[in-house]
Amino acid sequence: MDSRFLMRLQVAVAGPQRIGAVPHGTRLTAPIASGHFEGPRLRGKVLPGGGDWTLLRADGVLELDLRITLETDDGALIHMTSFGLRHGPPETIAALARGESVDPSTYYFRTTPRFATGHSKYAFLNRLLAVSSGDRRAQGPIYTIDEIL
Amino acid sequence: MRTRPLMSLRLTTAPTQDVGAGPLGTRITFPITGGSFEGDRLHGKVLPGGDDWTLRRSDGVLELDLRITLETDDGALIHMTFEGIRDDGAPGAPYFRTLPRFETAEAKYSFLNRLLAVGNGVISADGPVHVIEEIL
Repeated sequence: MDSRFLMRLQVAVAGPQRIGAVPHGTRLTAPIASGHFEGPRLRGKVLPGGGDWTLLRADGVLELDLRITLETDDGALIHMTSFGLRHGPPETIAALARGESVDPSTYYFRTTPRFATGHSKYAFLNRLLAVSSGDRRAQGPIYTIDEIL
Repeated sequence: MRTRPLMSLRLTTAPTQDVGAGPLGTRITFPITGGSFEGDRLHGKVLPGGDDWTLRRSDGVLELDLRITLETDDGALIHMTFEGIRDDGAPGAPYFRTLPRFETAEAKYSFLNRLLAVGNGVISADGPVHVIEEIL
């Protein structure tokens, strides 16, 4: 599958909201306090107020459901959502939970971002699918996002 | 992005259900009557009864929302969904891409529960063909 680098996105997570055991698994919501993104075609910051609604499933896979608003450096707002999966060896996932730096190649952390904007300069984002590779850091994840060509 | 071939999925469809203009766009539902899938790790047939609920947006892009059940040749049932977009006016060539997801209770195929995938769609005379790759 051909792809092309779209941007690198880093978000900062505020205090997690541990909702706990629910019928589908264990829910933890991570509010997004801030962030920034940078790529050849767009760059800017993440507005506060979004979040990642995560669900730890019975099979140990963490489902991610991110919704945030991006603001480009020329003032366009972009609605971004991203579904993803994260899983790996138990000791690796435990190290991540302790906030340690872990080589991202040792676990699976992939998401499929979607974008919506009313700004004509960035309308190309409305017409593409993307995949990202995540790197969970203590202060929040870094996503390398590629457009699917 | 690194990927690995997962399967080629062929779908057959019944006449469309033209629901018409709604608040989000124009809805056309494609009933799925059957099909087949073939890959190194799984192959079998598509059970009748699924659909692709499509929505033509105001910018001309068709949004796809498919739900079907796969049955492997050794009897496992796999719940499959995808979202996707089809943009026949994309520069160069039509852009027809999907993001399939799978759920199964069968241990042999549980790797499908743990992966994300991308599909590249082609319209053939017999119906759509989706070449699906696992995102590594």
